[in-house]
Amino acid sequence: MASKTEKQVWETFVRRPGDLKEGEEVPMVLRDLTSGKKKYQMRHVVAVVSRKPEDMASMDQLQVRTVVGILLPETWGVKIVRELPIELPGRPYHDFYDALRKAAVSGS
Amino acid sequence: MFDDTRDFIEALCASGDLHEIEKEVHWDLELGAVSRLTCEKDGPALWFKRIADYRADYTAFVNPMATWRRVAVTFGLPPASSLKEIYAEYEKREGKLIPPLTVETGPCKDVINLGKDFDIYDLPAPMLHDGDGGRYLGTWDIAVSRDPETNWVNWGMYRFMVYDSRHLTGFPRPTSHLGKVFQDYYLAKNKPMPIALVIGADPISHFTASATYHIGGEEAALAGGLRGAPVELVRCETNDLLVPANSEIIVECEVLPNCVGLEGPYGEYPGYRTGEMGNGILCRVTAVTHRKNPILTIDATGYRDDSSTITALTGAIAIKRRLERHGLPVLDVNVPREGAVHMAVIGVKYGGKQVAKEILETLTSRRALLSKILLVDPDVDVYDLGQVFHAFSTKCHPAHGIHVVHYEGRANTLTPCYSQGERALQKGATALYDCTWPGEWSREWEVPVKATFETIFPRSVQQKVLAEWKSYGFKD
Repeated sequence: MASKTEKQVWETFVRRPGDLKEGEEVPMVLRDLTSGKKKYQMRHVVAVVSRKPEDMASMDQLQVRTVVGILLPETWGVKIVRELPIELPGRPYHDFYDALRKAAVSGS
Repeated sequence: MFDDTRDFIEALCASGDLHEIEKEVHWDLELGAVSRLTCEKDGPALWFKRIADYRADYTAFVNPMATWRRVAVTFGLPPASSLKEIYAEYEKREGKLIPPLTVETGPCKDVINLGKDFDIYDLPAPMLHDGDGGRYLGTWDIAVSRDPETNWVNWGMYRFMVYDSRHLTGFPRPTSHLGKVFQDYYLAKNKPMPIALVIGADPISHFTASATYHIGGEEAALAGGLRGAPVELVRCETNDLLVPANSEIIVECEVLPNCVGLEGPYGEYPGYRTGEMGNGILCRVTAVTHRKNPILTIDATGYRDDSSTITALTGAIAIKRRLERHGLPVLDVNVPREGAVHMAVIGVKYGGKQVAKEILETLTSRRALLSKILLVDPDVDVYDLGQVFHAFSTKCHPAHGIHVVHYEGRANTLTPCYSQGERALQKGATALYDCTWPGEWSREWEVPVKATFETIFPRSVQQKVLAEWKSYGFKD
């Protein structure tokens, strides 16, 4: 984990532009970019994201990659509201993001 | 024949096809970048002896068969064997099956980690490419699974990504043999599917796992036949599956029928990262066993990776066999390395529209991994891409010589030219470029005469010129 003076840095993948919505709780997958053996460990969460500098000052840092893995130049702020299970209920070979949205709604 | 990865490494070292890297290399992109560049230079296999963040006795062996030289060594052939000789050797051996032997124990049980004893992050899974969905533990692997209704055991080489300390996600395609059994039986019954991820078995076993092999065919017996000796198998700790006893690492898992995780995107064998993401499977790890000083085997996937040789080779022979079974006039098939298992060159005794359409139908009826097929006459050597390109350029009629079949639900979702929408629906197409002369054309009156030495001169003139060749002042 990052020290208290350093911001925790996370990364997420989105399917299309506009999938990250500011000011509302969004389900997402985060991977931890902290250096070390466990770098890139995944978490499923409900979080709030923002691009407003005043919000970002108190938030963790979020990097965003597209569906083909391209890192977008903009950095976001992210605050985890709650965890979702790592064994996320859903149907194999079907859209993971649909499963995330359903889990967030059902309060899994 | 080689009994394990270590024997194979020794043989590659002896043939000059291995490079050992003693300098510490980081698992986070550096190992992948070194391996990728080596692959693109047709360089040797790599053995990374020191990996940052990891114990000194955990090493990584990368790109085992990414050149034809290394495939030749695998089969005990001279390293400089031609492509045609390697194809012929595989074709000669693949019909013979030797069932595996079950043994009590083996080196893969040197260290047994059950329950809370293991953490997947103790294995140095690399982040192979910048922007991949995660660290891939399974690239040069064998995913062992069984169909409970028929007891058919399948070995497949599929990608598996580290998710957290006790979970992996994977993408054995829905149309793959593992994917089919999972969906038809386990998913239907909402039961977890036991699988074992084998890392670092003997090279022929990995070869067969990546092979295009028919449903119901047991790769373990194929491996025995190709090796000329049975593969020794040992029982897993947490399920009834059998795995090669001499393997470096075994990760025992269950595929969850009612849970998902993010899988991908990942830079795959087509040579691209296509955006295939979030449509895979989630596995719960139940045990990890390994040898002392385990060697993680890795395929640094991308352009001209291990698939470009071995999947291409076995795919070509599988295509040939399938066409033969359907009574089609096939002579030889080559899946060229540069075509990334998306293109096949099929040589036929005779072509024409009807043959072309039957071949296209036969090769796309269940799953369609190829998107391009070039059909050539017997005068074209399918292994000589110069000849193939000449035939394509000159004999394929741009309006009447291209036949296309469209399909949905069985396309190769990793094919780079498909849109995201097509991928979601597994929708695609295969085009056959008919580079054969129309059957109805008269050889005497209509078929153009090929203007090469062998075809446009009388035999007597050819013989005279060859006999006199050096007298014209040529050295060779």
